[in-house]
Amino acid sequence: MLTTRRQFLVQGIGVTATLSALPALTGALAPRTNRRERVLVVLQLSGGNDGLNTVIPRTQDAYFRLRPTLAVGSNAVHALDKHYGLHPSMNALAEVFEEGKLAVVHGIGHLVAERSHFRSMEIWHTASSALPLPASGWLGRLADQISERAPGSMPALHIGGGMLPLALRGEGNLAPTVRDPGGFLLSPNNESFASARNKLLNASDAKGDLAFLRGSATSTYHAAERMAELTSNETSVAYPNTELGRQLELVARLISGDFGTRIFQVELGGFDHHSRQAPAHQALLAQLSNALAAFQQDLDESGDADRVMTLAFSEFGRRAAENGSRGTDHGAGAPAFVMGSRVKRGLHGTAPDLERLVDGDVAVTTDFRSVYSALEKDWLGLKPSTSVAPLDLLS
Amino acid sequence: MRVLVSESALAAWQPTRANPWNRSAAAHLIRRGGFGPQPGDLERALDEGLERTIERLSEAPDAHAENVNGIHSLLGVGKLAHLQAWWMSLITEGGIPLQERSALMWHNHFATSNDKVDDVRMMHAQNAILREHGLGDFRVLLRKLAKDPAMLVWLDGNANKRGNPNENFAREVMELFALGIGNYDEHDIQEAARAFTGWGTLGRAFAFSPDHHDRGEKRIFGRRGSFNGDEAIELVLEHPACPEHVARRLLTCFVSESPEPTDVQELAAILVERDWNIGATLDVLLRSELFFRSEHRRGRIAGPVELVALTARALGRAISPTRLSLAAERMGQSLFRPPSVKGWDGGRSWINAGTWLARHNELASTVIDKSGKPRAKLNETFASASNRREPSARVLWALFPDGVEAPFAKLMREAADGCSSEQEALARVAALALSAPEYHLV
Repeated sequence: MLTTRRQFLVQGIGVTATLSALPALTGALAPRTNRRERVLVVLQLSGGNDGLNTVIPRTQDAYFRLRPTLAVGSNAVHALDKHYGLHPSMNALAEVFEEGKLAVVHGIGHLVAERSHFRSMEIWHTASSALPLPASGWLGRLADQISERAPGSMPALHIGGGMLPLALRGEGNLAPTVRDPGGFLLSPNNESFASARNKLLNASDAKGDLAFLRGSATSTYHAAERMAELTSNETSVAYPNTELGRQLELVARLISGDFGTRIFQVELGGFDHHSRQAPAHQALLAQLSNALAAFQQDLDESGDADRVMTLAFSEFGRRAAENGSRGTDHGAGAPAFVMGSRVKRGLHGTAPDLERLVDGDVAVTTDFRSVYSALEKDWLGLKPSTSVAPLDLLS
Repeated sequence: MRVLVSESALAAWQPTRANPWNRSAAAHLIRRGGFGPQPGDLERALDEGLERTIERLSEAPDAHAENVNGIHSLLGVGKLAHLQAWWMSLITEGGIPLQERSALMWHNHFATSNDKVDDVRMMHAQNAILREHGLGDFRVLLRKLAKDPAMLVWLDGNANKRGNPNENFAREVMELFALGIGNYDEHDIQEAARAFTGWGTLGRAFAFSPDHHDRGEKRIFGRRGSFNGDEAIELVLEHPACPEHVARRLLTCFVSESPEPTDVQELAAILVERDWNIGATLDVLLRSELFFRSEHRRGRIAGPVELVALTARALGRAISPTRLSLAAERMGQSLFRPPSVKGWDGGRSWINAGTWLARHNELASTVIDKSGKPRAKLNETFASASNRREPSARVLWALFPDGVEAPFAKLMREAADGCSSEQEALARVAALALSAPEYHLV
């Protein structure tokens, strides 16, 4: 069935004359020579993840003193080293760490104190604290560079329901959003409708905006077809039945199916726990850990693990001390995760010292831009957003 | 007052036998001056003529005041979705077409996002300014917006204090709102920022804090004085580049994304002669030879809000404004949430694979439901008109008042031929038409 439709599409669309002059929008049309190109997946944990209850300083007395109801018992955590352990709900990710495919970067953040979700995300997304706000984001600028080298590719995709994140805005192009974890789902899309739709795209000669729109429509339909093929492939990995699980499964399919996209951004929201934090946070961390671990396992099995690096970050951590509602308020430094078979495993950066808080917060000891530089320059081989020296993250 | 010589592109258009007042001309006027014709509008326009059709763009529909005020009881809930749906309902049906069109233009020009303002009442108050003054004196519009609380939050006016000025607002007033790059320098921005110090908000109102105001001498555009914020705004308005900046915005919104410099200069002169009155200036523009030129008809890519409004109106169907607003958001335009102070870039930047997919799916779903069945009453939507009985001809008549090329019409006829019922044929042809690139040019 799929083969038939695809054959039809290829015959049904005249991709020759009009498209060659256009900025085509998809790798589905580009020659498949990109295999083995490195890929970056960015997972945004929105709302301000509580770093101290994610990577737990299990041997610091201050942790238990500052968090009388929220502290997690030191025996329950999954040890990362002598002093730190992952939250008990993150057993799957702890296994990834055991396998040497996970790095934890301590005390990451930006150097200007900023407790607004909105403003802090802007700084993360643009890699700059300048105002007025830069018009492009760090991933968009990487996508621009990839486009320049490989015109006709779809360098970046946003997977998720909301508006396009600022991070993915380039100078010229905006990354497309894939709303449905099933890919670009066209509706209606039965064969006879698709056939009529494609004939209309060649109804007559076109130039200017009409030619541009036809080219865009053609590449969109191709991308949708290609995604439909890829998502119908079987995988032996059992992803958790969560939205993040389904989204990362799509990302894995697009990577292993050689769709051509090199930058993905995915989001997991809901981390803003000002009250009764423990059960909600535990559930989110389990969701995060299970989805990430399944994703890594899938890449291992498909043979793509050595070309994919995943960064999970949040806009800020939370106050070291819990508040009066068994929750935590907006803080500063927090750990980030970098996952991949080529990562330098272990704990990086300066570990937080709860006896030396800054205004009640974990100090920012690692400039987030040093992680960006490592991913931009050392991992993807592209021009970095800033001149901040890269953190030594790759093995 | 300037007499427009007949050679001027802005002289009044005189329909001729070769280029008559017809469905195409009327549809163009109603698409650009409003949000497109509803069933019957074009026939009426041909009956009544150009002058009356222009007048109608400024006429209030029944229950206009109720439509505009209906949001008040919901503002306390604080949900942006309510405000978005309310504005969408004014745009599609409940508002004065030209007023809503210009309010949307100014929302893009003075682009302010609730993502930062985070206050639905403030966003509503700003929208009320755009509606009340959007067709009035541009100078009043700028003065009002300079002290608008949403704007002060958006561009950090609140954080602009003596000794520690924040230049965000001063920069955008010059760069985006009134002058354009190249007409000022960094020094002008720094000095104007000092003049604006002390402006801020108290609750949801403008407030001036004398303690935070820098009373020292400033030098703006070469003039010296201990200017305050009001005086800085007046200096901007007196700058010779301001009328052309406004005229360019009117031309890019109503006529063409790349206006000719001579047209910009001439429209700027008209704006000044008409005491900066935007409505009076548009009155000249909307009846001009320039406006009606064939190259401008269906000559630009529709933005999402106008696209969903045009479609709901063309179909003559009541579609929930909440749904329309969500559809526009999926296509890349969420009202009250422009991506930056530059607004939406427009043109080809509306289009990528994700937004094209949204255009395809959202528009098709207005005629075909989730299970693939035709929506009810398509027979009425595409009633037989002008002796057209064949389903594809009826759909094309309604959705393409400018006509389509013969091969396009032929393919549509073929698509209808395979259908087992009239309903099915209407639905299929309409879904194909709405997702065809031709439909997205307005």
